Amino acid sequence: MPRLPRSEWYDLTRDMNWDLSYVSEDQAFPPELSNSFGVPAHDWWAWDEPYKITYSEYVHNQAGKDAGVYSVNNVLNRSDIWDKLEPGWRAAVIAHYGAIAVAEYQAGIGEARMARFGRAAAWRNMATFGTLDETRHGQLQTYVPYQALAKEPKFDWAHKAYHTNEWGVIAARHLFDDMFLANDAVSMAIQLTFTFETGFTNLQFLGMAADAMKAGDFDFGALISSIQTDEARHAQQGEPTIKVLSKAGKADVAQNLLDRMFWRAWKLFALLTGFSMDYYTPLENRTHSFKEFMDEFINKQFIDQFRDFGLEKPWYWDQLLNEMNWTHHAYHLGVYFWRPTVWWNPVAGVGPAEREWLEEKYPGWNASFGKYWDVMGENVRDGHPELTLPETFPVVCNSCQLPVCTPAGYAAGYLDSPLPYVVEYEGRKYTFCSEPCKWVFEMQPETFAGHLSIIDRLLSGWIQPPDIPGALAYMGLSPEECGVDGTDYDWAGPVPPVTKSA
Amino acid sequence: MAPFPVQGITEGDFVVVLALVDSEQPMSEVAQAIAYHGVGKRVAPQDRPLRVRYQGDLLPDDATIETAGVAPMDVLEAVYA
Repeated sequence: MPRLPRSEWYDLTRDMNWDLSYVSEDQAFPPELSNSFGVPAHDWWAWDEPYKITYSEYVHNQAGKDAGVYSVNNVLNRSDIWDKLEPGWRAAVIAHYGAIAVAEYQAGIGEARMARFGRAAAWRNMATFGTLDETRHGQLQTYVPYQALAKEPKFDWAHKAYHTNEWGVIAARHLFDDMFLANDAVSMAIQLTFTFETGFTNLQFLGMAADAMKAGDFDFGALISSIQTDEARHAQQGEPTIKVLSKAGKADVAQNLLDRMFWRAWKLFALLTGFSMDYYTPLENRTHSFKEFMDEFINKQFIDQFRDFGLEKPWYWDQLLNEMNWTHHAYHLGVYFWRPTVWWNPVAGVGPAEREWLEEKYPGWNASFGKYWDVMGENVRDGHPELTLPETFPVVCNSCQLPVCTPAGYAAGYLDSPLPYVVEYEGRKYTFCSEPCKWVFEMQPETFAGHLSIIDRLLSGWIQPPDIPGALAYMGLSPEECGVDGTDYDWAGPVPPVTKSA
Repeated sequence: MAPFPVQGITEGDFVVVLALVDSEQPMSEVAQAIAYHGVGKRVAPQDRPLRVRYQGDLLPDDATIETAGVAPMDVLEAVYA
């Protein structure tokens, strides 16, 4: 039987659109699951993915990718490569798995929603592959750490994290619920696939893959490089969705969806990717600073795509550029100081050589952020490491759920005031770390108002006793699981022996 | 006397912290209660008295949470006068 070239049958087989007669449009595509934003059904049928693939091609490609990743893992898992990695890199990998693995399964639920409620057959076809992709990513990123549990018990958090109320996980869940688990298909195509995957996952996956290879972690490098090849394909669901909205005169809808999620994604990446690149990756293995990666992947490449689709930079662009100088330094400091509240062992990453590098990449770092580490280092050297540990909690933002670090921005000369943004809504007080976080909340107060931050939960009596041990128990962290200094305070310089085991 | 939660900022520190103060404590003690979580831990101590700034104004040292009209989770700054 002769085989037709793909170009002669692809469009026919994937364009299975039809007019509804037995049910209404809203019954087949309820707005809460698929918001058309007023674009007529037939206009969606122009949706055309830029990257074509058939199911047989997909299966062939994916089988090859899986064979590569699992065989690398099979070989390296029998080696002692993990034990030889630097503590900082190990921290970055353990943090990554906890923050990402189960979220990948959740992204699969989001893709499945687009596979059912996407407004064109071509889109539903692409999203079906996306569902399979994300399932694969969830499997890979739980399987690989599971295989290494004997070497590193903290890998348990690859699966455990999202089943706890650990503060960073609350922040990630709040973001991902907004982005895909509780989102409609059209908004998701712009917020998950375009904004998050085209923009930011490049940063974590390509940037960290480059650092992984240099750090000698070939297992992790192979894993996340393989994942990114899938992301690059299914992320392209955003582009045709924006085009349909723009053609229908709804570019403002796309812009608003993008603006809201771009800021939210920035905050989480400033936390996770920020400390991984600028503090946890061993100095000799760093390819670029976090800010340089942001400049390249976001400020240049991604913004060019905005323009290609007729969109503009978000209104808060200057505030983003401002935050790139200081926010992730503050988050890293906070994670280190509140290290019992995380599932990995943070390293300070502020030895003399690292500080020199930080000063070069972020002029003024020693005067602005180095001064905090000076005080903490002195406490360690004086035999008081307990002074580098918390007795209270940071206030967290009611939008991004991350610590409110406005005082750091003010002290470093980037903000005009150390004060957070405080808003009263229906009798309740909400605190925000930035104007865009406040704006995100105010765009959809009915969506966010009911959520309690970890601090709200403490003040509402959910956490008993309302102190650090009570909070650690609430977050699912047993004493053995709580983070400790990953280098046993080596960064602080000569330490009296008595403090070494404190 | 009742425990009273405020958002505390110590001058020079990097983060807003949850500080529990007493509603009838004078502001001189409230400043110390906020600064306790920052000074000597991340912020170098200074040999100057600490005062409380609320909504842009320095509060008298003998004012209390009640007399100053501070509401739960209002933002108080502990600043060097």
